Amino acid sequence: MKNKPFNLFLIVLVTVVSLWSLWPTWRDYSLSKQLDSFASGEDSLKFSLSHRDELENARKKSLKLGLDLKGGMHLVMEVDQVDLFEQKAWNKDARFHAIMGRVRQKAATSDAGVIDLIAAEFRKENIRLSRYFYDIRNTDGEITGKLQKESEDALARAREIIRNRIDQYGVAEPVITTQGTRRIIIELAGISDENRVRNLLKGTAKLEFKLLREPEVLLRVLDKLNTTLASRSATSSPAVAPDTTGKAVPAAGSLLPPVKSATTTRPLYDVLTILQNGNVYVSEESRDFVSRLFQRGDIQALIPQDSELLLAAKPDQLQDGRNYYPVFLVRKTAELTGGVITEAKASFSAEGAQPEVLMEMNSEGTAKWARITGANIGKRVAIVLDGAVYSAPVVQSKIPNGNSVINGIESVEEAKDLEIVLKAGALPAPVRIMEERTVGPSLGADYIRAGMISLMWGFLAVSVFMLLYYRTAGVAADAALVLNILVVLSVLAGFNASLSLPGIAGIVLTMGMAVDANVLIYERIREELGEGKSIVSAVTAGYDKAFSSILDSHVTTLASAYLLYTFGIGPIQGFAVTLMIGTAASLFTAIVVTKEIFNFMLSKNMLSEKSFG
Amino acid sequence: MRIFHNTSFNFIRHRKIAYGLSIVILLSGLVSLAFRGLNYGIDFRGGSEVVIRFDKNVEVGSVRAALKEAGVSGTLKQYGIDRSFLLSTVFSGQTNELKSLVSNAFNARFPQNRHEIVRIDSVGPSIASDLKWSALKALIGALVAILLYVGIRFEIKFAAAGVVAIFHDVLTVLGLFSILGGLFAFMPLEMDQSIIAAFLTVAGYSITDTVVVYDRIRERIRGKKPSEYEAIFNESMNQTLNRTIITSGTTLITVLILFIFAGPAIRGFAFAVFTGILIGTYSSIFVAAPIVYDWLKATKSAVRLRGGTAA
Repeated sequence: MKNKPFNLFLIVLVTVVSLWSLWPTWRDYSLSKQLDSFASGEDSLKFSLSHRDELENARKKSLKLGLDLKGGMHLVMEVDQVDLFEQKAWNKDARFHAIMGRVRQKAATSDAGVIDLIAAEFRKENIRLSRYFYDIRNTDGEITGKLQKESEDALARAREIIRNRIDQYGVAEPVITTQGTRRIIIELAGISDENRVRNLLKGTAKLEFKLLREPEVLLRVLDKLNTTLASRSATSSPAVAPDTTGKAVPAAGSLLPPVKSATTTRPLYDVLTILQNGNVYVSEESRDFVSRLFQRGDIQALIPQDSELLLAAKPDQLQDGRNYYPVFLVRKTAELTGGVITEAKASFSAEGAQPEVLMEMNSEGTAKWARITGANIGKRVAIVLDGAVYSAPVVQSKIPNGNSVINGIESVEEAKDLEIVLKAGALPAPVRIMEERTVGPSLGADYIRAGMISLMWGFLAVSVFMLLYYRTAGVAADAALVLNILVVLSVLAGFNASLSLPGIAGIVLTMGMAVDANVLIYERIREELGEGKSIVSAVTAGYDKAFSSILDSHVTTLASAYLLYTFGIGPIQGFAVTLMIGTAASLFTAIVVTKEIFNFMLSKNMLSEKSFG
Repeated sequence: MRIFHNTSFNFIRHRKIAYGLSIVILLSGLVSLAFRGLNYGIDFRGGSEVVIRFDKNVEVGSVRAALKEAGVSGTLKQYGIDRSFLLSTVFSGQTNELKSLVSNAFNARFPQNRHEIVRIDSVGPSIASDLKWSALKALIGALVAILLYVGIRFEIKFAAAGVVAIFHDVLTVLGLFSILGGLFAFMPLEMDQSIIAAFLTVAGYSITDTVVVYDRIRERIRGKKPSEYEAIFNESMNQTLNRTIITSGTTLITVLILFIFAGPAIRGFAFAVFTGILIGTYSSIFVAAPIVYDWLKATKSAVRLRGGTAA
């Protein structure tokens, strides 16, 4: 019974701090309930206005629910390092592309670092990294070091850009962190339109202004491709989508080549529609096939130097009422890139309800843009975003003020999203979603209900059992159990951690484990009483002798929970955290609190041998 | 109330029967692991899972047919909550496309029965292989940590026997997952992260009961001759039998409640922890302490124990 004042003080302190830390949660809950109870919207508006500070304060400090309980997205995105390093290389030739292709394949399935994979492939080929990367005088070691730095920078930049995009889109309390050398973890709660978020995060937002090649060049290139493909089609026939040509006759003219002849000699023209004005289209069904075709190395080899074939981002509706994607041949080297864009604004075009995005450039971009437009009056400039042509307007006159516009946008949302990604800037390399866990709000509500029912039944079962089995002593154990749960919840609220379904499972499990300490102590006290000791010395001996096994069992549980926390991710960490807090807290509640209760009861002569069942 | 009071089971004498039983169970689990393998969840295998809930009841066959028509590959099963189905398919990284494919198929086929995609889990192959490694590291780390701790607190023989018991428990549960995997519609028993969490919980908890028995043995064995060990072990185990069972019992109750009420996402976890604790209680009496006894008998020297407050 030494240290009694101190222990009592500690118990009071813990209880008060727990309640204080959970107070905002209670306020938040009761205020929201009051808010829901109003019949008219007017009343609830008035209430929320008059209690605004209180509401906000309570909400900010209350216990947060995890993504699985309130609905949300957990995303792991990966920076495409292979693409990043390809951008950094120079003198790229077929051999280099072959090596990088193999690296890409390996990187997809192994978790070895991309740099290590590249270095290993180069060693196998017996060429030095400096042949393609940085300076010829650099050693392999120096180059891998530089690439390492490059990838770290890229990851940090990518995280900032993604954060900008999400902030602009407007999500409450997003959590964005990096993991390892190429991963970004994003947690978003309460998303109404997941599809939009995925699109917003995914795009590199690489904006380029590229000059179109002459229409005749495009036709010549297509001819050449067609002949080459036809000569090869004996061995490999392309998986051609249904023929859709022949019916599309827009006002601009009639079909130039009659494309209804033998399919084997016209593998490309079967899927392309060429109008008299020189515009080339590909039908909606054949788009994937053609875009894959254009990316093939052997096809790209047939295209003139510094040129590339691109498809439009959005289809045009031709006269037959079907959708066709325009095909463009552009200069590969961009005249100007998105880096010069300082401002973007979603808007509507002057002549109608067509959404568009207006852009402004910095002084350097403005000067360049003026020069480019001035030198190319009457020619067409393609505005390319992430490899797809949004529009290709004809330059009417020199543009001196650095203004440009993206049109060919389908919806206002898309225009808004473009505004966001253009303002946030381009990602250093493509970023892909590698893991996603999304829970809809309705399932989250189910989870909350299931969690609450489990908590309630868990508590009832354990506390009733302790009462039945240990009688009076069971009351002390139950009081300790209540405090234990309070401490877990208040620590979560106090440290701004969130409660998830696995976290609730952890609390339920903790309840079963927390009373173990009491069981060990009580059994020992029963034993001491059985040996004929007085109640006072039995209680003292019980606590003393049971302590070492309680400590051992708690330490091992804590250790495994800690390892789980270190190696696990997201949902599992929630479980580990509540288990850790609960186990640690039960060392205090189950031992110190119950002992003080017994001490008090002993001093009032309320404890007898029968009190332990 | 008292359940196991003043018992005098002769655990040590019958230990060979327990060894035999454990070996049979472990071997059948290992055989199943070798031939049937494990039912890996998307955490470790990679892939996508979509949970779809309908407003009204619908036949699983017609849902399957609708997906097949739309060209969605993968398997469809009933999910553990009402009117819900779980579609498992490969990982593509294109969740939007998958979603619209599924939604369009159902809107066309069941125009009167609205559906909602309530959950999407999608794990790429590189993440899956990372998760696998992390899980392995955590498990090995836990075993080493427990071995070290019990080694410091008791003695290396006790610690090693405790870790053998943990191995016994985790491997038995793993074997059960292999044998029972995929047999029940309401719990597919797939190996995923939550099962690793269950294994670690079992590993941490399995030692709890063991330590209680050890503690009592340590308390009583001081200064005794090796010839008295059998009696001391038996008495210690009988004296602690009640608390061993009650402590496991309270935890088992809560895990059972999780199994029943916490929903399909927690069910596999709850099953693993439940069986793990059950087997852990058995192993602390029939595996851990008997191994220590056999080991002590083999070395024929008096044991020197550390720690413990009791004299």
